[in-house]
Amino acid sequence: MVNLEKLQARVKELLDKGAVDHVIGYRRGSATFMAAPAFITRPEDAGDLVWDPTCVHNLSLYLTAEKKIKAAKKETAAKPIGVICKGCDSRSVVVLLQENYIKRESVHIIGVSCEGGGVLDENKLNKFLKGKTPLGAKYDGDDAYLVATKDGEQKIPAKEIMADRCLECKYPYPVLNDDVFGEKAESKRLDPYHSLEAMEAATTGDKWSFWKKHLDKCLRCYACRSVCPMCYCDECVVDSIAFMVTPSTSPDQKANRIKWIERSNQTSENFGYHLVRAIHLAGRCIDCAECERVCPVNIPVRLLNKKLEKEAFLLFDYEAGVDQKQPSLVSSFRDEDPNDHIL
Amino acid sequence: MAMEKILKKENLGDWTAKLDAFDVYMPSFGDEGWAYALMGDRSGANLDFSRTIHSPKNIVFPQREVMFSFQQKKGEPPQLTETIPNPNPFVVFGVRPCDAKGLTLTDLVFSKEFNDPYYWARRNKGIFVGLVCNEPPSAACFCLSVNGSPHGEEGMDAQMTDLGDRYYVKALTGKGQEIVRLGGGLFKDKAASDQKALEQTHAASEKQKQRSINGLKGVEDKLRSMFEAASFWDDRSKACIQCGICTFLCPTCHCFDMNDEVTCVTPLKGERVRTWDTCQFPEFTMHSSGHNPRPDNASRLRQRVCHKFQYFFENHGEHQCTGCGRCVSECPVGIDILATVNGANDHDA
Repeated sequence: MVNLEKLQARVKELLDKGAVDHVIGYRRGSATFMAAPAFITRPEDAGDLVWDPTCVHNLSLYLTAEKKIKAAKKETAAKPIGVICKGCDSRSVVVLLQENYIKRESVHIIGVSCEGGGVLDENKLNKFLKGKTPLGAKYDGDDAYLVATKDGEQKIPAKEIMADRCLECKYPYPVLNDDVFGEKAESKRLDPYHSLEAMEAATTGDKWSFWKKHLDKCLRCYACRSVCPMCYCDECVVDSIAFMVTPSTSPDQKANRIKWIERSNQTSENFGYHLVRAIHLAGRCIDCAECERVCPVNIPVRLLNKKLEKEAFLLFDYEAGVDQKQPSLVSSFRDEDPNDHIL
Repeated sequence: MAMEKILKKENLGDWTAKLDAFDVYMPSFGDEGWAYALMGDRSGANLDFSRTIHSPKNIVFPQREVMFSFQQKKGEPPQLTETIPNPNPFVVFGVRPCDAKGLTLTDLVFSKEFNDPYYWARRNKGIFVGLVCNEPPSAACFCLSVNGSPHGEEGMDAQMTDLGDRYYVKALTGKGQEIVRLGGGLFKDKAASDQKALEQTHAASEKQKQRSINGLKGVEDKLRSMFEAASFWDDRSKACIQCGICTFLCPTCHCFDMNDEVTCVTPLKGERVRTWDTCQFPEFTMHSSGHNPRPDNASRLRQRVCHKFQYFFENHGEHQCTGCGRCVSECPVGIDILATVNGANDHDA
């Protein structure tokens, strides 16, 4: 079992010693029973930290955010940032290291094992409870969650309300860490690519209508991009104004900037956005599935990324974010790499 | 004098079928949860739904609106073609009081300094039939805290109250009366017992548990004094990922961007298009010089909260938040406008 008190004590100790600048973890949200990201800077606030199956967020996102803030202020970080990482989250830190976006000494990974419990899918839970408001949730260690509502505690089988990515998880234990809490545990409930089965079996026409139906709903709020720790580009193909505009950018350069994707939420533009994003995540996505979780109109974004994760694995025997020393897929070449897809 | 009638629940489909001169929107359950959808077959009409993911704002202020189309042949002057929409008259059923009130606030924006012909071309064709929230449609609801009510009538042409086996239907405007008249014999006169049941239901709706703001009066003054309370805004906005969910789902957010979308280069053809925009995108206030006056999460959250609770009040005498709770329940990282306003009220500096 992850001992929350020990976790809090360790965070307090790190802050007390001045070993980290701050710690990114989870606190209780103010509006619902779900956890929310917490930024702990004072040792006495370490007690605000929580750990339970509502700690869904991939907090490594904030490492990239912090780097950008520092860069904008032309500052360099003096101390590492502590970040609480589940197995999946630790893999995205490893990808950031593989890509040399952050330095190993800039992060202190406080790993937590999911111990087979994974995290909840709030949509699944709300559907299961049929309108009853959940007040709290914990994993009972025996393939079920105990969910509290105003009518008391209810035992719900894990497979009913667990996030799909957790049902298919291969790495429930942090792959890289400086501290770690909780026991190693296996978590193979379903085949890692189980979610893809229906899509892969579908005809081309059915695939088209499936994705058209879903992507036509897209609001282009870019939550999927903005929550993604791998989407750290300074300039994004969908932004109509470049971040790279500087005082020295000439009017001609501004006027002639190509708009690859218009802002209109139309089929062609929405497909453009989602497919560009999926391709850019090939061999980089570690399936934290935050993109799908945050989508307000329930587009199954994860399926796109999962498919490319599978392609990378089958074609190149490559898994992102398991070894910080391994060169990243798209920036490396091996003689034995298959090349029959190249004309 | 409002026209007040009783409609049996089983006759809802027949009523909507009689409105055959109108397009009818009703909440329907799909992949994205509840959302207003154009009804084809109207026999299955049903108003048993919780909160819709979008408000009916989308129907009168769609995410994409073509302002005009243009074309130009070489050597000739450009030709512009007007594209003011001309939709069928439509009726929206199941409008929640917060969302109906939201429409009245959006009306102010699109009519005060400039009468927006695109907005009003749709808005004037619409009839909005409200549904009283006997129970809060979402755990994030807080209408009572922002001068709203689960049985509020603002912005509605008619108001329906679910009384178990029947609806109490109040026509509040001429348009509302028109569609009730079209229902003809489906509507019965109200009895004293119906009136009593209505009053009880409305009273009970206000007693349902909601989240609350610790004081709305004077919050605009408090916020005005906190423009430079940097650490407050920084703390509250740290987790923000800079997506557009809170504003795109808001029943009163109305900011937009305009772009020329070229569909053909020779001869030049294209459209000038307005699409939703949001103060939460970093590029929203990016100047062409490269300077961004709202460069961080803190200044962007401050903008959103102060627009709702200070600037809009200064401009229009009302707060711009109607308490639907969408920005709270849909925020991926738990940013909570209610906790922020409460925090501002409690802030001493």
